[in-house]
Amino acid sequence: MTDLQSKYNLKSPGVKRLMREALELAEPTEEYHACPLEDNLFEWHFTVRGPQGTEFDGGLYHGRILLPTQYPMQPPNIILLTPNGRFEVNKKICLSISGYHPESWQPSWSIRTALLALIAFMPTPAAGTVGSLDYTPEERKVLARRSRNFECNSCGPVANKLAEDKGNRLGGDILTAEESSLLKQISLKGEEETNRLQDKGENVVTASVRPVECKDSGEAAETEIRQRLVPTETVEEEPVCVERQDSILRTSIQRSNR
Amino acid sequence: MSEKFELSGEQTHQEGQINQDELILQQQRQIQQEISESTPLVGELESISSLNAEYSSDEVYLQKIKDLASKYKFVRRTRPDGNCFFRGFSYGYIEKLLSNKDEFKTFYTLAENSKSSLVELGFPQFTVEDFYDTFMEVLKRISDMPTLEESKRELHQLFNEQGYSDYMVVYLRLLTSGQLQREKDFYSCFIEGDRTVIDFCHQEVEPMYKESDHIHIMAACSAMNTGVRVVYMDRGNNKQVTEHDLPEGSTPYVHLLYRPGHYDILYPN
Repeated sequence: MTDLQSKYNLKSPGVKRLMREALELAEPTEEYHACPLEDNLFEWHFTVRGPQGTEFDGGLYHGRILLPTQYPMQPPNIILLTPNGRFEVNKKICLSISGYHPESWQPSWSIRTALLALIAFMPTPAAGTVGSLDYTPEERKVLARRSRNFECNSCGPVANKLAEDKGNRLGGDILTAEESSLLKQISLKGEEETNRLQDKGENVVTASVRPVECKDSGEAAETEIRQRLVPTETVEEEPVCVERQDSILRTSIQRSNR
Repeated sequence: MSEKFELSGEQTHQEGQINQDELILQQQRQIQQEISESTPLVGELESISSLNAEYSSDEVYLQKIKDLASKYKFVRRTRPDGNCFFRGFSYGYIEKLLSNKDEFKTFYTLAENSKSSLVELGFPQFTVEDFYDTFMEVLKRISDMPTLEESKRELHQLFNEQGYSDYMVVYLRLLTSGQLQREKDFYSCFIEGDRTVIDFCHQEVEPMYKESDHIHIMAACSAMNTGVRVVYMDRGNNKQVTEHDLPEGSTPYVHLLYRPGHYDILYPN
């Protein structure tokens, strides 16, 4: 934090805001933790606990938050790094109001809102939206178990990133009424590159809720997006050390890692 | 699951991701720069006849500009980024208040008390506080200047700093949303379709860059306890500009020029 303080213009309201959020989130809770990278206030890493009573229960999911220079006027992008079977990894997902376009981000939302929304949104159906995966509950449970061993290049093992789970998570008391009603409305979806590029400067927004497509064309489109995101594809060439009996999962994981 | 697998996946990702991030950022910057370079967030005072240049061969508009010039001395342009009503209105209002210390003081007290009423309505305290603090900081910095001229210069400078300027817009959007929600029975009649007032606030008032309509203006004025005269100038057939006072029957304190999709600030003769 001290390093960051000398690096950024503290008079800028956006920088002040991120410093405030860093302080607010400094102490890990049972369900989430996030902090800026040591050398970059505009990239944070987070860990969230899979919601109780779902196939993500017991999982710890790690990822990056990329903040635009205009934050909080523009939304943060969330990128999951831990394979989870609900969201593609290494793909930007953003918050919007369900059934509404992605420009509906509100500056009064925060990184905390984004993390709560991510947790709340995990068990919802993928419904063919960009960046979503519809793995079976069994696949997700296996991924949840494995997620505890995840190590991040920047943050190290995720296993002890959160406060101890005492089982009284996300009780109604820690959410304000506003947050609870917000969380019901928020949706998270993968960024649609083309729309996003067109929309950015103009404020005229095209409807961008992706219709549920037939599976074939949907998957084809997703593969293209993944290829564009990861032009240097090396995963398949690397020897992949996954146990034999998990061939189904292996395929799934490869899919989500691409 | 081997760590190696995970790590290689991540490394691959990061290279690709950086390229993609860069491309998006680059394009964003370019578009934003184009808009920024053509219009400052809030411009300098310009004569009404400066509008002629935009309509060189359009008789309907030229006629109306003549009519406008008979009532107004100056226009101050705002950046057309969807926030122009909120930015123009707050700039014009604060600027006008500066010439009357008592009125400024009354407004300052109103602003000071506004945060708790937003929190009572259920807005998240943490972020409301962030916008409120900056809003009050701006009011304080402007009013602390020793002379009127310096106050106006400070106002102009802060409203042209993206960070401060946008924070003013956000807080006014929140105040407007709060007003709509407090008087939702009244405002629900103005909302088309089956959206509730709260949906409308979440979708059309609180997000940045969302353009403003009558309903936003009425609620913003009520929240600030003032009135606005909107002077409409479009290609309609009448030879004069049309004036609307909002809320109806109020005394206009700030004057805005409306051309389809955009508001600028007007200064009466």
